[in-house]
Amino acid sequence: MADALLELREITKQFPGVTANDHVSFDLRAGEVHALVGENGAGKTTLMKILYGLYRPDSGSVSVEGKEIAVRGPRDAIARGIGMVHQHFMLFPPFSVLENIVIGEEAHRAGVLSVNAQRSRIQAIMEENGITVPVDARVEELPVGLQQRVEILKILFRGARILIFDEPTAVLTPQESNELFRTFRALTAHGKGVIFITHKLDEVLAVADRITVIRQGKIVRTMDRAGVTKPMIAELMVGKPVLMEVDRPAREAGSVVLEVRDLKVRSPRGLTAVDGMSFAVKAGEIYGIAGVEGNGQSELVHAIAEGVEIESGEILLGGVNARRWSVRKRRENGIAHIPEDRLKYGLLLPFSLATNLTLGRHNKAPFVTRLQTVNSRAVRDSARRIIEQFDIRTPSETTPANALSGGNQQKAVVARELSAEPRLLVASQPTRGVDIGATEFIHRQIMKARTEGKAVLLVSADLDELLSLSDRIGVIFKGRIIREFTHEEAVREEVGLAMTGGKAGEEKAG
Amino acid sequence: MSGSRRRFSSHLVLSQAAPFIGFLASMVVLVAIVIFMRESPVKAVEAVYKFALSNAARLGAVLSISIPYYLSGLSIAIAFRAGVFNIGNEGQYFVGGLTGALAGIYLPMPAPLHIPVVVIAAMLGGALWALVPAVLKAARGISEVITTIMFNNIGLALVNYLINGPLSGMAKGVSLEPQTRKILPTALFGKLNGFFRSLGWKVPDYVYLDYSLVVAIVMGAVIWFLLFRTRQGFEIRAVGTSTDVSRYAGIKVQRVQVGAFLMSGAIAGLIGLQEIFAIRGFYTYNIASGLGFDGIAISLIAQNHPVGVVFSSLLFGFLKQAGYGLQLSTKVPNSVTYAIQGLMILFIVAINAVVVRAVRSMRRKELG
Repeated sequence: MADALLELREITKQFPGVTANDHVSFDLRAGEVHALVGENGAGKTTLMKILYGLYRPDSGSVSVEGKEIAVRGPRDAIARGIGMVHQHFMLFPPFSVLENIVIGEEAHRAGVLSVNAQRSRIQAIMEENGITVPVDARVEELPVGLQQRVEILKILFRGARILIFDEPTAVLTPQESNELFRTFRALTAHGKGVIFITHKLDEVLAVADRITVIRQGKIVRTMDRAGVTKPMIAELMVGKPVLMEVDRPAREAGSVVLEVRDLKVRSPRGLTAVDGMSFAVKAGEIYGIAGVEGNGQSELVHAIAEGVEIESGEILLGGVNARRWSVRKRRENGIAHIPEDRLKYGLLLPFSLATNLTLGRHNKAPFVTRLQTVNSRAVRDSARRIIEQFDIRTPSETTPANALSGGNQQKAVVARELSAEPRLLVASQPTRGVDIGATEFIHRQIMKARTEGKAVLLVSADLDELLSLSDRIGVIFKGRIIREFTHEEAVREEVGLAMTGGKAGEEKAG
Repeated sequence: MSGSRRRFSSHLVLSQAAPFIGFLASMVVLVAIVIFMRESPVKAVEAVYKFALSNAARLGAVLSISIPYYLSGLSIAIAFRAGVFNIGNEGQYFVGGLTGALAGIYLPMPAPLHIPVVVIAAMLGGALWALVPAVLKAARGISEVITTIMFNNIGLALVNYLINGPLSGMAKGVSLEPQTRKILPTALFGKLNGFFRSLGWKVPDYVYLDYSLVVAIVMGAVIWFLLFRTRQGFEIRAVGTSTDVSRYAGIKVQRVQVGAFLMSGAIAGLIGLQEIFAIRGFYTYNIASGLGFDGIAISLIAQNHPVGVVFSSLLFGFLKQAGYGLQLSTKVPNSVTYAIQGLMILFIVAINAVVVRAVRSMRRKELG
């Protein structure tokens, strides 16, 4: 192809036991945004690392503008005009924007920096691409969206014409994401090519010119944007039709499992975070908590599941006051908890997957014998069942948790909590950072728990998730439930308005 | 997948390599020092070999020196596993030694009973001296590093006062060394040398291979079993890995840490037994000091593993004996061995950091 800026031909990369890339061919034209989508572990990152010189392919070739090249490292890549904006920024926060951009390429006279000479070049790049950043501000003072622009400027300054963005919107607000997409347009208008790695399908449809789907190391299809729909991409990614909407069998809610009365909780900093909250969750019901983050959600979850000290009020589990219960007692009485920060709280990373899958129940038969010794056979047997049932991808149950992929670590936590057969499931941001296949899976598992008669408290920042799963939604604002919706009443716009403390919400607040 | 399992085990070998590389590197430095002092390295190696390895008596001496090292390393290891930095085993063994000795002096009973009783008394004394720092840490979050260092000083001063005052057993004119009364013969630790000779190992009688060796072996086995086979041990390791995850999983973090802290103190209480019950036969302020601090290094080198501590304590025993040899036959002073110990720890920690990173990235790559 004459106008191909970049061409990867028949790339194969094997790791012991896994073929991460299997004869992958991919090309990028000047002036286009080419989205590379696939689930966690599909091989996107490996492919980009090969392009960036961090891995050497077993076979296949890389050409830039028709010339075959060997990329031996990031320095090589950038010299060929390939630049990457990483998910985690590679910036020095206390340095100025200017310093961060020129770092490693500083102009100097006899060892004395004269970076000001480079200032005009940076200004020109900013103007050309419609990117504005205060050049003399320190990076740590900038919001995330602007920091990302510094990264973009950094690679443009080094002459990149092929820009790779690895999940760039994961850290951005919706407004910042839109800004970024405008930047994509400006870049491509000047003949550059953008590779956009993501698993957010709305964004793919919003910004991509072409879309390539990768699954289990193989390219499934490369297609033009025109005529492509969300379910189509999802199906190609997962390999089978994906139900974007979860089945909700009709079910009468049972008796009250969790009741929260007049709850007040202070945040770790001593501010009143939950301020007189009351609600109840019944058996066979999903109660969703909607709200802008920072309105008391975390403190509420901690008070219910983690036994964080409360200021006043009551937490009743099956009518019994659980206020003073330890975490262990809560677990023994049927509370399961999918924590918001699964990597910090969810897994003992150096321990085996099997051990992690029984954590929290490790003190109960059959996982301990009557003499309080560990019954490792029971632990492994149970783990094998959970791994199979929840489709966790791992070489074996004895693999340490830190050797699993991020998505599988998340799955492991969800699997463990659900397999504890709880009475009450507290799920905090259960699908944050999880890909489509796993999201659908987790949604179905939560719905299954509800249908089996468990009570579910679902706290999520994802309004679509709440709207599709919840039987009732309570909107939290400044530490109170200011409005409740039934599943039927809950309309996106109205719930959204209530989340900002809008008029419609205040009626019920008093 | 047997392939990947084999690979994991080869990582395991690699991850255990740091102590050996560190040992070799520090030996290279030792040779360099010897050359720098214008001594012949051959002569130095010969001295080390003769003094530490050449016959049953020398090897027996290394083993004998290693016994208190082992107990000290074990004490630190169990605390470390729970994320507790017990720097107080120095004070704990002085106090534990005294309570053990008191049980040996003032509680007359037949020998088969008396020896376990003094062992338990020493453990209780050590645990007692860990109790206040443990409770302060659990209840108020006060750093055990500070409190245990303070308790070392308090413990040493208390012991000094007691044996000079109320517990003094000095017969006038016999010795200027403040000490307790003599320990009853029923409580004294006999030697195992005869037993070893009957197995064909010709250790002479003057080497102290006494019951404290049995105590050390039993304690090592108990702690190993506890850590790796029991629920409590699992919780100790979980807490040491992440207090956040442990708390989330319902583990009572404070309780586990207090438990491990007290166990650490109890084992520390045993460090002085060899000297008190086998060598001296009474308690004095002048029993060897510093063994508690050595335990930190010994445990670190062994990555806080009760089996690894066997090797690292033998290594320390060897170095001490080798130091005597160097001092006697060359111009190299004994104190060089302390510098070598320090260097070795530095090497091992640094190499280990590199190895851990390498193993982790290899595992990542394997799983894609």
